Amino acid sequence: MKFGVFFELSVPRPFSPEGERTVIENALEQVRVADELGFETVWAVEHHFLEEYSHCSAPELFLTAAAMQTQRIRVGHGAVVCVPEMNHPIRIAERAAFLDILSGGRLELGTARSSTWTELGGFGANPDDTKKDWDEYVRAIPRMWLEERTSWDGNCFSMPERAVLPKPLQRPHPPMWVTVTSPGTELDAAERGLGALGVAAAGFAEQERRVREYRRRIQICEPVGAVVNDRVATLNYLYCHPDLDQAAATGFRFFGTFSQLNAHLLFTREAYPTSAYQSLANLAPPPPKKTLDPSLAARLPEGVCIGDPERVAEACRRWEEVGIDQINFLLNASETVPQDEVLASLRLFAREVMPRFADDPGARAVPAPGTAVAR
Amino acid sequence: MLIGLRDPQTLASRVARMPTLDTAALVLDGVETLQLLCEIESAKTSLLLPPSLHPTLPGIVNWQVQHFPTSPWGPFRLAQTRIECRSGLRPRVFLLRAVCDQRDAALALAERWGFAVDDGSVTLDRGYDRIEARAAIDGRGILRLELRDPETLRPDDVQYVANLNLAETPRGLRLVQVDADFRVERAERGRPRVLSFDAASWGEPDVVPLQPVSASFTVGSVTLPSLRFLCRPEVSAFEGTEKV
Repeated sequence: MKFGVFFELSVPRPFSPEGERTVIENALEQVRVADELGFETVWAVEHHFLEEYSHCSAPELFLTAAAMQTQRIRVGHGAVVCVPEMNHPIRIAERAAFLDILSGGRLELGTARSSTWTELGGFGANPDDTKKDWDEYVRAIPRMWLEERTSWDGNCFSMPERAVLPKPLQRPHPPMWVTVTSPGTELDAAERGLGALGVAAAGFAEQERRVREYRRRIQICEPVGAVVNDRVATLNYLYCHPDLDQAAATGFRFFGTFSQLNAHLLFTREAYPTSAYQSLANLAPPPPKKTLDPSLAARLPEGVCIGDPERVAEACRRWEEVGIDQINFLLNASETVPQDEVLASLRLFAREVMPRFADDPGARAVPAPGTAVAR
Repeated sequence: MLIGLRDPQTLASRVARMPTLDTAALVLDGVETLQLLCEIESAKTSLLLPPSLHPTLPGIVNWQVQHFPTSPWGPFRLAQTRIECRSGLRPRVFLLRAVCDQRDAALALAERWGFAVDDGSVTLDRGYDRIEARAAIDGRGILRLELRDPETLRPDDVQYVANLNLAETPRGLRLVQVDADFRVERAERGRPRVLSFDAASWGEPDVVPLQPVSASFTVGSVTLPSLRFLCRPEVSAFEGTEKV
């Protein structure tokens, strides 16, 4: 089991340049600490116009800064929106390769299609087309990296023969992922040989079913690139504190804020009737458990990594049993948790929980990034 | 976090009066529903909503015009102007005002489900190239919408969100949740056009349509529900939600 940190860069109101700078600098400090503590990956989303919820509109810049300030942690561009109105595929291939070089071969490239009307409508994108656009992008981008010169004649873009430069440092190319929110997208990932970057909360049973199906399908995949990334990651919330009740109090405040901000987004399905978005595809956490026990700790949702080290370790163990390869943690929401507490939580987790999940030589072999089975 | 800033008491004079909350569900068949969503100015959306509700980003006005061919009061048509919002974590629409072309139906909608309804004329005309809806009060047009170039959708592609109707109830001023159940048999979608909208006649002159988002048309049964939840409009839904 690997662990990562995941950033939305949510900013509390009232907005100011100083407030946004504080959020970004706090996040970069968290990345530096995560790097020192042995976390595997730092992920940064791409979102636009999502006031408060996410001001992470230029993740490639955030990740470049992160890469320049760290030594080992991998940088997850997760996920770049593969919609022509937002990002041209050539620019994605160029920027990703550049970031791979600058980071010394530490890039993971996530792909997505956006799930909110706020974003798609803001760029004038047609929600009916985003799945088809994404499919074309994930096939074109590896070719731009692998071929000296590439041409493309597609539906959402075409290009005459050109050299897309630079080429990434990792060989044959950086691992690719797709964000999985809607049920069924994990199969899209598997069929294309892409990692499943879970960003929606699901209970153990549902996640286990999805992982099982993903593992089955990826055995017979037609990879879009030269490497199969067969890893499954999930998103979670981390607040680890020696005192369970205090952890629960802070944790509820943190993910309660996040889930409210998330719920206030205008999801595509609500605004625009279409077959292309079958679920709200949101990132809301599971609801609190219903229990007669009046303590907050008893109401913590299943699988959420909030609590004392024992509770957090138990949640991680369950995710491992389900078949998850990596848990990526949100660490804060709208600066609800003071920075020193976020860093203390990270350190406590690294000291008390991470060692219990150190590599087991007998575990299922996960291909090292960039060295996976070439097909 | 954005929340509604409107003092509910400033709306109290124009809300429906409900003598009881003991409302039986009512199934209405063959209902035609045109729904059109349009972006409005986000900065003004908070000013339309009471403090228990949160605006969406961007702000959205949601018009729904329906033809009920049969009902206990005979056929009637209903036009609603609503604002997309959130109650706690739930998507909802907050009713600004409605117009109904049948007085008995209007009275029942007000007394049993808390709709603030004016008497007026409402039309919903379906053609092959467009579906057009109009509403008027005293012969003066206050709404004209179009769905152009309809194309077929799957019935479950159209999503409807529950109403929150501010009403004077036996428990005082409350948001009344009306989560109508739509069983869609046919669904279409087309280009949305807002041909005219007299916001002042709907009680909120600051609702200025900016960017049409979508238009859908469905045919199916609609169940107006028995009431399950109320919410005090002046406090958050987490604090103010009450079971009926």
